[in-house]
Amino acid sequence: MTAPLLSVRALSKSFGGLRALDAVDLELAAGEILGVIGPNGAGKTTLFSLIAGSLQPTSGQVHFEGRPVTGRAAHRLVRGGIVRTHQIVRPFANLTVLENVTVAALHGNRRADVPARYRAPRVLDFVGLADRAGQFPGLLTLAGRKRLELARALATIPRVLLLDEVIAGVNPTEAVALAALVRRIRDELGTSIIMIEHVMPAVMSLSDRVLVLDHGRKIAQGTPAEVVRDPGVIEAYLGTSTEATAP
Amino acid sequence: MSAATPALVPLRVAAGFVVGVALLAVAPWILDFTPYSHNLVTLAFLLISGAVAWNWMGGFLGQVSFGHAALFGMGGFVSARLLLSGPVPAPLAWLVGGLVAGVFSLGAHPALRLRGPYFSIATIGLGESVRLIFTYWEDFTGGSSGLSLPIDPDMKHQLYWWGLGLAAIVVGMSWLMRHSTFGLQLLAIKADVDAAGDVGVSATFYQDLVFVLSGAVVGVSGGLYASYFSFIEPNDMFGFDRSIAFVLMTVIGGVGTILGPVLGAIVFVLLRQYLLASYPDLYLGLYGTLLIFIILFEPLGLAGLLGRLARLARSWRAPAAEGGTP
Repeated sequence: MTAPLLSVRALSKSFGGLRALDAVDLELAAGEILGVIGPNGAGKTTLFSLIAGSLQPTSGQVHFEGRPVTGRAAHRLVRGGIVRTHQIVRPFANLTVLENVTVAALHGNRRADVPARYRAPRVLDFVGLADRAGQFPGLLTLAGRKRLELARALATIPRVLLLDEVIAGVNPTEAVALAALVRRIRDELGTSIIMIEHVMPAVMSLSDRVLVLDHGRKIAQGTPAEVVRDPGVIEAYLGTSTEATAP
Repeated sequence: MSAATPALVPLRVAAGFVVGVALLAVAPWILDFTPYSHNLVTLAFLLISGAVAWNWMGGFLGQVSFGHAALFGMGGFVSARLLLSGPVPAPLAWLVGGLVAGVFSLGAHPALRLRGPYFSIATIGLGESVRLIFTYWEDFTGGSSGLSLPIDPDMKHQLYWWGLGLAAIVVGMSWLMRHSTFGLQLLAIKADVDAAGDVGVSATFYQDLVFVLSGAVVGVSGGLYASYFSFIEPNDMFGFDRSIAFVLMTVIGGVGTILGPVLGAIVFVLLRQYLLASYPDLYLGLYGTLLIFIILFEPLGLAGLLGRLARLARSWRAPAAEGGTP
């Protein structure tokens, strides 16, 4: 097997006495979609913040393309090719949709061959926002803003894309469309993806492998089919059988 | 609007700018300024430069500084000291004063870990401590008796054009910033520092860069001010009133716009000159009232008001034109 594109070793983060993430390992192969699920407060977003450089880990390492990148600042990781999106979308409200994407296109992967000003309209086209280029993000629907969040991340030409609940919160039709978009990002752009998602049909159908977090620990990992049968996972989501049968 | 890719500087804007600057450049010969109005216009140029430079930080980058007097004073005193030290050409002294002020502005770098109003409060503290240090550092600033520069009527006359030149350069820079990807990144940082970092913008780099640029321009304007008035005193140069003036001018004119700080500075100079003479106790109160009205009714200040009027005029003209050609 070839070396993984991204590998995380014993990554931990403590906030005071609270261990938000406890010695989590993961590996992401090139072209893979890895789903991350877990109950609220399991440490999923913390994991992303540590990998993407928004937070400094308490301990552990992150290697990207075989090189250590632990604790490197977010804007430097973006240039290397790791970019994240946020669960609560954060468009630059004072810039138009196109300008939002242009800012991202200015930076990002240094190996990119297309100049920034051509890249931004193409990316908007890819995510289906081309007709909204001149509008301000405040006029977009939630699904539209999620697409913008995706476009901004894609404009940096990432190798690894960390998607924090891009599908959750939109209506079922939009959810299907966004899931299709995520698949196209992997299939057509070849981007490797780690996605946190609560919408189970989406995460189960998109992911090659799924990692389950609970209370900051990795409790299971495997194909979607394996994970849903895992007794530990069922317990984390539904509680133990005695509790489940209690009145 | 043309369908072709827009030039970096549209001809109409460039032409208007050049004509405006040229008219102002020949104005002293044509209008035969009295010393009083010469004074007023020169002061306006210096304040325009300062307000526009403040706006790079407060308007584009979203870092509202209440301590810019520290940079104004720094530029003023460094250039005055240089001019007093020997036969230094005045423009060199102003430039050095500006550079020192620019570097000095990086002293606010640690305050960047604070955001929004917290940053602003920190700049009040920084500005005031700078004022106190320089008031007590008598060897450098002359303490509360200040520094006097030799009075040179020729220099005073020429400073009109130096001031105009500085204002023109700074307004031009403002336009370029606002219409380039550089300005786009500043606005992104203003909207959301963290999100800007998440798409690869090195916020700290741009913040520091704009600090230096803004500080340098305000420092140069301080140097010109010192040469123009031939007497400077730390409590005035570094005073909190002066810091507030930068904020007032920009907010009255329109935060984050190009023309706003220019209009704001002009209004500020005119109001101050008139009110200070007639009602010295009232003038700060009037600014306060003006500020409240602007924040309530037109957050983009005078520039926003002009934009609104222009749109109104266009919408009046458009139906009229349709009716006129049946």
